[in-house]
Amino acid sequence: MELLILNGIVNGLIVGSVYALIGVSLTLLYGVLRVVNFAHGEFVIAGSFFAYVLFTGLGVPPLLALPVAAIAFFAAGWGLYYVLIPRLSRSDDPELMSFLMFYGVSITAAALMLLLFEADSHSIDYSFTPISLQVGPIYVSTARLVALAITVAISAALAVFLFRTLPGKALRAAIMNPEAIQIVGVDIVRLSAFAFALATALAGITGVLVALVFPAFNAFSGTEYTIIAFIVVVLGGLGNPVGALLAGVVFGLAEQMATVFLPQALAQIVGFAILVGTIFLRPSGLLGTSARK
Amino acid sequence: MAQQTQDVPAAMELVGVDVAYHGDIRILRGLSLRIRPGMITGVIGPNGAGKSTALKALYGLLKPVAGDVLIDGKKVTGLPPWKFIDHGVALVPQHRSLFNELSVDDNLRLACWSFRRDRARVEAAMERAYAQFPMLRDKRRDMAGSMSGGQQRFLELGRSLALQPRVLLLDEPTAMIAPRISAEIYEFISGLPAQGITVLLVDQNVRQCVRISDHLYVLELGQNKVDGAAADFQKDSGLRDLIAEWVDYRIDA
Repeated sequence: MELLILNGIVNGLIVGSVYALIGVSLTLLYGVLRVVNFAHGEFVIAGSFFAYVLFTGLGVPPLLALPVAAIAFFAAGWGLYYVLIPRLSRSDDPELMSFLMFYGVSITAAALMLLLFEADSHSIDYSFTPISLQVGPIYVSTARLVALAITVAISAALAVFLFRTLPGKALRAAIMNPEAIQIVGVDIVRLSAFAFALATALAGITGVLVALVFPAFNAFSGTEYTIIAFIVVVLGGLGNPVGALLAGVVFGLAEQMATVFLPQALAQIVGFAILVGTIFLRPSGLLGTSARK
Repeated sequence: MAQQTQDVPAAMELVGVDVAYHGDIRILRGLSLRIRPGMITGVIGPNGAGKSTALKALYGLLKPVAGDVLIDGKKVTGLPPWKFIDHGVALVPQHRSLFNELSVDDNLRLACWSFRRDRARVEAAMERAYAQFPMLRDKRRDMAGSMSGGQQRFLELGRSLALQPRVLLLDEPTAMIAPRISAEIYEFISGLPAQGITVLLVDQNVRQCVRISDHLYVLELGQNKVDGAAADFQKDSGLRDLIAEWVDYRIDA
């Protein structure tokens, strides 16, 4: 039993760190642009397929795919921003339109992946040597430990960016007070494009890690990750990046421990229980602050 | 006095501006304002007269559906708000415009965004703000949101001054501020022209606005009601009655 619990904790941390990255990118996007990206899970899975293509087509190992995915997804996000968002502001009800638009983007992205990769499950047939490492009394797959190290490094880099650099502070300032950021001379359009690109790049990177950590993915897996992202964002407090990181880990741990202690069917609904519980008991999230005060 | 204030070219101007919400509801109808250089131009009017809307239109936060915004006689209609600092125009809006979870220092530093790579200029700008309001220097590491309402207002004013504007637009600078601090703020505002800063003051506090302004506009239902040298408003009993009627405040002769 102790081994099972320890296993649950270690895997919870690993899975949770991936959830944290998915959540932090969605929450940044929401915070700055005030739009909810229903396609976020599809962006993540697009990252998984990106790593898959690089590996099976060109023999590029997943670790090398990470920086390539970061650059490619950043550029794609930047372009997508200018295709999608300016149209929203011309509509009579931008908020409602944003829901419909991103729902459309989600369907389109899933359909595109279906066209390209069909409905079968895919996985990257890549393994580290040794294939697993001993952590105390248990063995953990090397791929998962590498993924954990990468998510920790990226989270730390993101925290330094957001809390120690002026552009990072500008991004947080835009979340705190979207009108005031314009009157101090910050070009909100460029800052939003940057936020969109950064969130998309993070989604792409997370997708590569998803391919390392989880057994398989397919064109329809996106929805699952979108839901996870929503749970993490709500638990962490809307527009709160630190909250999202923390919430990702909490959710990952809760999910993995549930599989240890609860029957399979019950373990599945833990995420929803957390979502509903947060909304009822602590609507401003774990850290008690939200973007909209 | 009236003659003098009419003929100087405007530092900033609204010319026949219409602003509409939701397509057809016109908040401003053919509004014209001239902000005369080196002076304090006051804008008063009852609630809903469009005072704040006029200010937002001036600063590019709302786009006019008709008419133009001019800076030094040049058309800048449609210029986004973040470009106004480059034209020497700064705004202190009515609602809190600070970043609560950033330090006082970071709030000032962010205001220097448009010239952030020029370190010497950034330091000089921050020094200006701290010199104007020494109390801010003591609180430089505190979160902006942890300060009192009056202190936050000083930070907003200090922040706008850091940018060395030629024109400062102020929207109800003493709303929700304690009277003692308000007096200090009006004192500060009336000293701005001497520092070479032209002021537009939109205010609900009619008495103070009339007292420190050189030229006054009275708005009603998004239109110009009347305007003239502030001194005339105090002298002319007809204008006094008009103010009493339209903004529900009687100016003492």
